[in-house]
Amino acid sequence: VRAAALALAALVVAPAAAAQSFRARIDARAQAVSFRAGTIDSVPAADVVPGPTGGPVSPAGFAVQCPGGPWCYFVRPGPERRGVPVSTSGSVVFWGLGVPGLSVHAAGRVVADAGDADVWPGSRPAVQLLEGYLELARARFTARAGRVLVASRLEPVGFDGGWGRLRWPAPDLEFTAYGGWGLGQAAAVPVTSPVLNPLDEWRPRDRQLVAGAEAAWAPGPADVRLEYRREVDPGTDYFVSERAALSFTGRPWRALRAAGGADYNLAEGHLGSADLAVSWLAGRWSVTAGGRRYRPFFSLWTLWGAFSPVPYHAVHGSAQATVTDWLALRARGERYWYDDAEASTPLVDVVDRGWRVSAGVTLTPGRGVTVDGSWLAEVGPGAASQHVEAQVALEPVAGLSVAAYGGWLERPLELRYYDAEAAWIGGRAEWRAPAGWRLWADAAWFDERRDRPDAGAVSLDQVRLRSGLSVAFGSAADRRRLPPARRGRP
Amino acid sequence: VSRRLLLPGLLLLAAAGGFATARGWRGPVEDRFGHDRHARLFPTCTTCHAGMAEAGAPAWPEPASCEACHDGRVEKRVDWAPRPGPRPSNLRFDHVAHARTAVTARPADSVEAGSCGACHTEPGASRMAVRPAVAARCLDCHRVAEAHLAQADSSCATCHVPLSGAAALAPAAVAAFPRPPSHDEPGFALRGHGARAPALMASGATGVVASCATCHARDFCITCHVNAPEVAAIQALAPDARSLVHEARLPVPPGHARASFLRDHGREAGPAAASCAACHTSTSCTACHAAGRPAVIAALAVAGPGRGPGAHIARTRPASHTPLFVEGHGPEASARPASCSACHARTECLDCHRPGPGAAGDYHPAGFLVRHPSSAYGRDANCSDCHNPAQFCQACHQQAGLAGSARRLGGVGFHDGARGFAVGHGQAARQTLESCASCHAERDCTACHSAVGGGFRFSPHGPGFNPDRLRRKNVSVCVACHGTGIPGLVP
Repeated sequence: VRAAALALAALVVAPAAAAQSFRARIDARAQAVSFRAGTIDSVPAADVVPGPTGGPVSPAGFAVQCPGGPWCYFVRPGPERRGVPVSTSGSVVFWGLGVPGLSVHAAGRVVADAGDADVWPGSRPAVQLLEGYLELARARFTARAGRVLVASRLEPVGFDGGWGRLRWPAPDLEFTAYGGWGLGQAAAVPVTSPVLNPLDEWRPRDRQLVAGAEAAWAPGPADVRLEYRREVDPGTDYFVSERAALSFTGRPWRALRAAGGADYNLAEGHLGSADLAVSWLAGRWSVTAGGRRYRPFFSLWTLWGAFSPVPYHAVHGSAQATVTDWLALRARGERYWYDDAEASTPLVDVVDRGWRVSAGVTLTPGRGVTVDGSWLAEVGPGAASQHVEAQVALEPVAGLSVAAYGGWLERPLELRYYDAEAAWIGGRAEWRAPAGWRLWADAAWFDERRDRPDAGAVSLDQVRLRSGLSVAFGSAADRRRLPPARRGRP
Repeated sequence: VSRRLLLPGLLLLAAAGGFATARGWRGPVEDRFGHDRHARLFPTCTTCHAGMAEAGAPAWPEPASCEACHDGRVEKRVDWAPRPGPRPSNLRFDHVAHARTAVTARPADSVEAGSCGACHTEPGASRMAVRPAVAARCLDCHRVAEAHLAQADSSCATCHVPLSGAAALAPAAVAAFPRPPSHDEPGFALRGHGARAPALMASGATGVVASCATCHARDFCITCHVNAPEVAAIQALAPDARSLVHEARLPVPPGHARASFLRDHGREAGPAAASCAACHTSTSCTACHAAGRPAVIAALAVAGPGRGPGAHIARTRPASHTPLFVEGHGPEASARPASCSACHARTECLDCHRPGPGAAGDYHPAGFLVRHPSSAYGRDANCSDCHNPAQFCQACHQQAGLAGSARRLGGVGFHDGARGFAVGHGQAARQTLESCASCHAERDCTACHSAVGGGFRFSPHGPGFNPDRLRRKNVSVCVACHGTGIPGLVP
């Protein structure tokens, strides 16, 4: 692996040194948060007493659960933990390497948690390569080699290998194939990395091999794609996953747009997720209606798929309208219901359907002034929430924007004594310098209350500070600002 | 006339007057001298304009000869002096030489050809009804069938010098050049003029036809043509700033208005890059193509000296990008990723889909940490598109003291909102299994749902479970709970 990494680095660096043009962007971000989490504790079963609601509680008033042994267990508020996650991301593209269409792409990140405890998820490893590949793009084909991240209906997948696409313009066909050693789901490290195993769960010894192919037909305003992807454990030759997907978009008539697709889990033999959305996109308003089915996907090196997760089905609709030059409205609603889980018991009655609705309004009373408000409510199995939030944004001078925001939410839970209510208020300032710099800072105060009928209730009040710096620069014409937003000859 | 029509009529008249003025139309040429009134005094033209027939003679009469009559007593005085030189013109013309040539070339019509009226009067008009040269009569003599402004290529050069050669013409005079009807033909501005402009020179090189050069110079072409240095016909024109008095009116090509243009232009740009390069610099492409840089864009010129600034493109928000689009862009993005990459830098995708620990992107609203359980239960969005369930969910829940433990299922006080949850969790688990997996390791479940290792043999398999297929694809999933005693399994 190390040799391969060095070879890749040599491939990236050597041509980049001779590049005539490049574009780069660096983003540095940091935030400081503190929270007081729960921690598991226990008391002798003999010390447990009846609580005010009839359940067992500890002498200190914590609700406990007693599995039948000499000890009963409960969660108490733990010590305050402080996290200061910082990250610096960089992306760069080199071209003009002497070979027409040849370019080098790389995107990576350096991360750390500068707090007194390593509490923030995703802070390891310290150096993460998200993408890094050579690309050769010609009229009929594009080829990439290195660390590639492929976006598709079958979830984004990263791997170290090759990717190629052939194009036939006349019948509007594209054929794509890729393969390599895979990375973890939504991660920049392979599944064998300890950082992807916080619970010390079983993990495969070898990185899975990823291979996939996609055929696309794009006649006029339509686009239809059929994709196949498999992941195989090279140590056992067993499948880690095998799926196929069909997706399409199209504008069949005027402002009518349709998009949708479905995937099929070949390894487990069932239909995965699917969706269809039909929109009418007029100039100042649009409406969308559709349906979807969601079924979670689990790799076969886990056992989760054998637990038969059931899909849910949903219908949804949304609309947005720019009523006047200063008023825009939006709304969305969805109703969903699960397939029969065939596991209901009289002991625990879990609802099998839910809904969510949201609405928002944006006011633009003057130049550079925006007022935005939104409301959302959702009710479903396990949890519900309702929240409102608002923001006032100003742009007093070109390039500088300031905003104040606030909100409130309540979140009851169905299966836990962990209902919460939170309110927050914050401010944000951002400065976009002409030279491609962007500096921003954000401060917010959260007032959070947990509603428990026992002593386990905790308050997670916190002040969260965030800041970031983005720098974009490049060679030749790209060093200049983008042309003004206007159409026509100057 | 009705009063209701009076005001609109006046407005129309005013508009027409303004339009006519703006177009440079100044009405009939005024005969300030009044040749008709002097017809009987001057039997021949050369009485006053001797220089038109005799080389070296004055072209205009002496003012003193006018004062013979216009002395204030016989006739009113006139204040007139002959112009010091020839009238500024772009004519390739000498009266004496032209008359000599005409008589020689057409001896049969020598009288007519040598007369002044042959050029300076309308056909059939009296001798002294003179006016500047009547172009139709020039064309008639020169056997040119088309109308004056409908000439093709080099016919113009018969009488006219290129604009750059008519140095004495003031910009206002250049602006008053008549507009040929060809310029109003459909497609002339986009492709028509480019097809007509090149001319093959005697040397074999590509030049420019005289019909263009008569009125235009290189500066005019550069107002539109980004690729001016690469177009031989443009380079064949001399530079002349006076040509800028003509306004270039370049319409947006009709193809750009097609609904599918945004999508198709990349494919069309490949074979038609030359036509793109006429108006677009690479900079105008990078207004949208912020990420990636197709070869066809890299091949386009950058605006600079000798080139037009190029069409500037607005980075407009596609109609599909409604405020709710962020929640539903997945299907479109996966079906047509190239469309996204035309405007969005890759890092914009990675900010959300591979978020760093300090990123806290704008996808989730403030306070989402508190709300995320309900959002995750309902899977409004697919969490694992962006977050690794182990690295992100389990790690954080572990830090928060929420990670589960098999033998203490229901014993940590977490599922304390539902009594008996330990023996009645099946429905909740099958509906929201991803939420279970965000806290629990598999061994938490196999402690009971396993046939080996002390498990209670509670079957976790539910609707849609396909054991045969699963065994074929990855038997280790079966072995984990059933051991090797699986029917059909070859040890």
